[in-house]
Amino acid sequence: MNDMLAVFAQWIATSEARELANWLLSNTPGLPPILQTIHLLSIAAVMGSIVFINLRVLGLAARRQQVGEMIGRLMPWTWFALPTLFISGLPFILARPARYFTNPVFQIKFSLLLPAILLAVLFYRLSLRETNYWTSSEHRLITGKIIAAGSLFLWLSIVMAGRWIAYSDYLFWPG
Amino acid sequence: MLNDFWLSLEYLPLAEHIGGTWWFPLLESLHVVSITLVMGAILMLDLRLMGVAARSNPITDMVRDLVPWAIAAFVIAVITGLGLFVTRASAHMTNPAFQWKLVLIALAGLNMAVFHFRIYRKVWQWDMASTIPIQARIAGAGSLFLWTGVMLSGRWVGHII
Repeated sequence: MNDMLAVFAQWIATSEARELANWLLSNTPGLPPILQTIHLLSIAAVMGSIVFINLRVLGLAARRQQVGEMIGRLMPWTWFALPTLFISGLPFILARPARYFTNPVFQIKFSLLLPAILLAVLFYRLSLRETNYWTSSEHRLITGKIIAAGSLFLWLSIVMAGRWIAYSDYLFWPG
Repeated sequence: MLNDFWLSLEYLPLAEHIGGTWWFPLLESLHVVSITLVMGAILMLDLRLMGVAARSNPITDMVRDLVPWAIAAFVIAVITGLGLFVTRASAHMTNPAFQWKLVLIALAGLNMAVFHFRIYRKVWQWDMASTIPIQARIAGAGSLFLWTGVMLSGRWVGHII
């Protein structure tokens, strides 16, 4: 797997996309912090939508709001934030592919992202079918809490892993 | 002389410990989680005040649901932020991005105080109203603008040092 990723990173490293990303990041004044701020604002949108819904389902936040109504109102923010996160993060990956693809923390971040998105889709789809899906029975209430706890853990880990990419040597000393 | 004080902070055992170990990335990642939580809660509230989102939810409910989270997350952001700050206190104090960040936080706090102690006092008149008073909408937009500025300048700090 790591060999495959290294080959892929090498393929990006020799591509024109890398040259373009590198040129843009080093020649546009302020572009790196501006892109990172867009990334942070999108994470804030994730916090204000899926994370807050998870906290609501767990009974920790927003008790004056209804779960079904919150899901319908807030989940579009998650769906909007995800492509924005992808676009604002992409130039950094293109510019230094080796720093990311063979980085264990980066690999963990993206491994966690897949189940996090799947849980969010599941949560949203069932609520779309029936607004009060997650509050209509004791059984669903408990299932919802388990999913919310898992989802909360995943999203917070993803956000923290993002910052740890730059410090992976503390965790995985390259041997 | 003041500079000596900032410099002396960097030589505190705690500061040296944070700067030299995995404490730094740990605090930094907790800082990111807490500032995005602050921003997430504030974003929802500001958009409601601007009349852009959640228009059928009472403003008082949103304030009661979100403000405690914004405050709690802000406290964590300040504590983790201080931990990061002391590792390079003297450099941060002369960093224009950091100075901007402090000014913008102060302005955001001022905006919040004006909203809370003046505009919000009469919220019962427009809690569920279809048109929100212009002062409340300006406070919401101003808050969004200022906190985005805090984030941008905060992120810029690392690109100057």
